Amino acid sequence: MRLKHLLSALALGTLAIAAHAQNTIKIGAPLALTGSLADEAKKQQVAYAMWRDRVNAAGGINVGGTKMKVELVESDYQSNAQRAQQMAEKMISQDKVDFMTSPFGSGHTKVVAGVAERYGVPVVAPSASSESVFDQGYKYLFGTLAPNGGLVQTMTKLFTQQMPNVKTVAILGREDVFPKSMAVSMQEAAKAAGLTIVHDELYPVGNLDFSASMSKIKAAKPDWIYVTGYDKDLILARKQMADLGVTAPIVTMVTGPAYPEFINNLGKLADNVTSVTWWHQATPYTADDVFGSTKAFHDEYLSRAKAEPDYVGASSAAALVALQKAIEKAGTLDKAKVRDALAALDITTFYGPIKFGANGMNAGRELPVIQVQSGKVVLLYPEAIKQAELKSFN
Amino acid sequence: METYIQIIANGLMLGALYACIAVGFSLVWGVLNVINMLHGSFIVLGGYLAFFAWAQLGVSPFVMLFVVAAALFLLGFLIQYGAINRVVSKPVLLTLTLTFGLDLILYNFMNVVFEATPRRITLDLGSLGIGEVMLPYDRLLAMLLALAMTGILYWVLRSSRIGRAIVAVRMDRDAAALMGIRVNKVYAITFGISAMMAGACGALMAVVYPITTNTTGLLLGKAFTICVIGGLGSVPGALVGGLALGLIESFAGTWLGAQYAILIGSLLMLTLLMVRPTGLIGKRGYE
Repeated sequence: MRLKHLLSALALGTLAIAAHAQNTIKIGAPLALTGSLADEAKKQQVAYAMWRDRVNAAGGINVGGTKMKVELVESDYQSNAQRAQQMAEKMISQDKVDFMTSPFGSGHTKVVAGVAERYGVPVVAPSASSESVFDQGYKYLFGTLAPNGGLVQTMTKLFTQQMPNVKTVAILGREDVFPKSMAVSMQEAAKAAGLTIVHDELYPVGNLDFSASMSKIKAAKPDWIYVTGYDKDLILARKQMADLGVTAPIVTMVTGPAYPEFINNLGKLADNVTSVTWWHQATPYTADDVFGSTKAFHDEYLSRAKAEPDYVGASSAAALVALQKAIEKAGTLDKAKVRDALAALDITTFYGPIKFGANGMNAGRELPVIQVQSGKVVLLYPEAIKQAELKSFN
Repeated sequence: METYIQIIANGLMLGALYACIAVGFSLVWGVLNVINMLHGSFIVLGGYLAFFAWAQLGVSPFVMLFVVAAALFLLGFLIQYGAINRVVSKPVLLTLTLTFGLDLILYNFMNVVFEATPRRITLDLGSLGIGEVMLPYDRLLAMLLALAMTGILYWVLRSSRIGRAIVAVRMDRDAAALMGIRVNKVYAITFGISAMMAGACGALMAVVYPITTNTTGLLLGKAFTICVIGGLGSVPGALVGGLALGLIESFAGTWLGAQYAILIGSLLMLTLLMVRPTGLIGKRGYE
């Protein structure tokens, strides 16, 4: 008899939980809170929380007339691709998330998107920009970053216009999904712009020294030195350029100056390094999303994270803004319908315009080209809001 | 010609850093027969201590180097005395597992406390230019440190009481105990010296490299490769192995491209394991 009571109590409890679940929208967020990508994941986490708090403070998302609160189902996949895959499986099959965001970077996004595609769960990826992630024919994957090719073309056009004497380029890229894609994009953009590639090399992931590469670049005397990689690589590369006396009229590091760490770790050596990025706080947008304007996002992020936001934070919040707009437009939590609404989305957000192309990537417009000048990042492009002219590196 | 001199200079400068990384690792492996998985984290911890002393208190890393060395000696001594000594005479797999576990703790501790953001001491000392050949001063200092550490270790093992005790324990643990040597204490001191060297190396590396927890595994791997190439059980082994690996990577990087530099180094390690398992100048025991 007792057992029966217990069972019915349990059943009631389960029902209550199930009923509760229908009042909230569950969004799965795999985050690399520990391990090598911890820094990036923390930026994502702050931005997600900002969006959730603003949405819930306003009563929730309007789903076909009823306001539904949002719940983020976060979980740490320890910067490990295999674990990211397991987490995605668990979120979808056990936590029953309605929608998902993706981890930091192209590599891990590809893994998570593969799982979500099988279950038909829409994924909005905040920090994947390599076309090799979006050319898999996935229907449920959308990304708020513009393709790498667009970034490089914008920059090449600007530099060759402003410094017509630049004829040769040296490319040094990290053998890794995003940096390699940026190196390949540069090869194509350089050829299209009529530049001669005088040095083209990839370095391995575990690289601890650039002296051999930099000595070769020095001998090739390029007009433009273009290096891709992550902070640690780029800081070391710039340092060894100085050690070995390597210089050129233009030095570009992707995504180097887009991160505050780059300047903090290099001091004066960071000066006049150029780069291109997806978002910068100096690009002002006003929008009818939960943030309202670029400045409002920037100020709240700064007070929460005690650090300036970079594109990772902004794009992470933008991914959820896009998802929210799509849910409101679809008026339902039906995954296929929200997917269609995402595909048809054409909005302006605090982050800039979002309109997903046929492959699911955001069509980037007016991407900011930046340069470090006297220890500060300044905008060289878009023309309408530029803060300074391109300065020669040497 | 100058290109060749620069390649050789690059190789020697890099090799000196490598030697710095490996000296302490070689000592523990040679004397205790422990493959110390904590070594990479010790170096990074040394780097962090030097960085924060510089960034928050303005202490020069070249002064801090000695403070860091002392702190790491203490940490190493305590870890060996409190934990590793309990299993030190067990098969190597057990000590490996223990240090692996301890490394997980230290690594994640640093990740939580310092976060993985790269941090570098932005003292740019410039380079010594001889004609077209450039020798960065900070790497010259690393070379000096590697030579000094190797020299001091050589002297300590040959001429000091504790050094003779370390060698005696390495040769025959039981006989040494019978002669009244406190084996556990000698082990702890040896491990302390190793951690001290890692710390000093880390403090100096913070000037050259951005310090981040991401590099602990890389540094450990380098130390391992260098010890196999140079040979265990010989004080100059780490120095020779480090310089050899630096030169090889420099030439391979120049001629074949950066992607092949690490590959060629690993191939050399494998070849040596097959044809000369004692390494370039290795021998059994620290004599």
